[in-house]
Amino acid sequence: MSDFDGEAEFIESVARELRAPVVLTPALDERVMSDVRGAPYGASDGAPRRRFWLVRPVTLRVSPLGGLLAAAGIAAVAVLGTMAAGGGGDGGATAAVAATPAPAIRELPTVAPVANATGPQQVSFVFLAPEASNVSLVGEFNDWDAAATPLARVDARGVWTVTLPLRPGRYLYMFVVDGTEWAPDPAAPVAPDDGFGVPNSVVTVGGRST
Amino acid sequence: MDMSDPALIGRVLEGDVQAYGVLVARYRDRYARYATHMLGNREDAEEVLQDAFVRAYRSLARCADRERFGAWLFRILANRCRTAGGRRGRHERIVVHDDAALVAAAEGPVAERSAWREEIQRALARLDPDQREAFLMKHVEELSYEEMAEITGVGISALKMRVKRACDRMREMLQEVYSV
Repeated sequence: MSDFDGEAEFIESVARELRAPVVLTPALDERVMSDVRGAPYGASDGAPRRRFWLVRPVTLRVSPLGGLLAAAGIAAVAVLGTMAAGGGGDGGATAAVAATPAPAIRELPTVAPVANATGPQQVSFVFLAPEASNVSLVGEFNDWDAAATPLARVDARGVWTVTLPLRPGRYLYMFVVDGTEWAPDPAAPVAPDDGFGVPNSVVTVGGRST
Repeated sequence: MDMSDPALIGRVLEGDVQAYGVLVARYRDRYARYATHMLGNREDAEEVLQDAFVRAYRSLARCADRERFGAWLFRILANRCRTAGGRRGRHERIVVHDDAALVAAAEGPVAERSAWREEIQRALARLDPDQREAFLMKHVEELSYEEMAEITGVGISALKMRVKRACDRMREMLQEVYSV
């Protein structure tokens, strides 16, 4: 027996032992299915669908890059709001948004500092998908629930948008197109792969300004 | 009824939660084995496996290639195992001389085989997590290096090196165990 053969045989003898089945708790399947039933998938009978509540369309400015991305079928921008916490929906807050020019498509998805930087800040997400029938936002802030945060189509070019309050922090997110296609935001930074095979986009909601 | 992975995934995405139970039963045992060897004990393995199944369910729409659901799920599980970390087994020193003695030990009576299995698990637990992962994927789960690269995100050359070092370390440790 050569050294190589001996080593291969040895490793196989080890691997053979490790291939033996392990004994599992009989209730494992039920525990998994109980968790699954507690977090139903997508738009079925799970969390109630959140009504779209974009108060007023933020100023969108799709750069030439947007046209290129649109030509590719799908594109996204993140537009930033600067409304103070608790101000969502009132005239002052909306004025704050209007007073802040929306960044171009490559602007990083961060939120400008506000007076109450520890509270929720309004963050607008914009996605360009001319062919989509529906688009939703999923992320750590809504427990990746594809039914929780639908975007609304705001113009004929296929611009979809939603605004939601987020506390300062870093959040992973993606868009879901037509309920099945998960797409990162091409204008945003991506996080290291979390094991699902498609990198998430990252939005950073700023804390207190210094 | 079509019970293939893509068909079951389609049913789940249409709201048939029970169809996911078929997928759980299909992959549970094999992946439990991997998790148990990676983490060193059944309780942690079950916890990680449960977490992986639930995460996969909640992200099922992100499984782009439904034909390869098993590989996709395995990737999630492997990541969860890495996060959970391993536990080191204790080790008793005994020494062995050659491959023939090692193979004989592996094929001996029941008591010897039980002891042999325990020593294998202890040696496995002493490997670096990266080496343990590579060894299990290659020699126990019998994945190709291409599949391993896809799952781990590590290059093939690096994976080959990890497997080689893992084999060398396993051999070295088990030789110590069975040498007097």
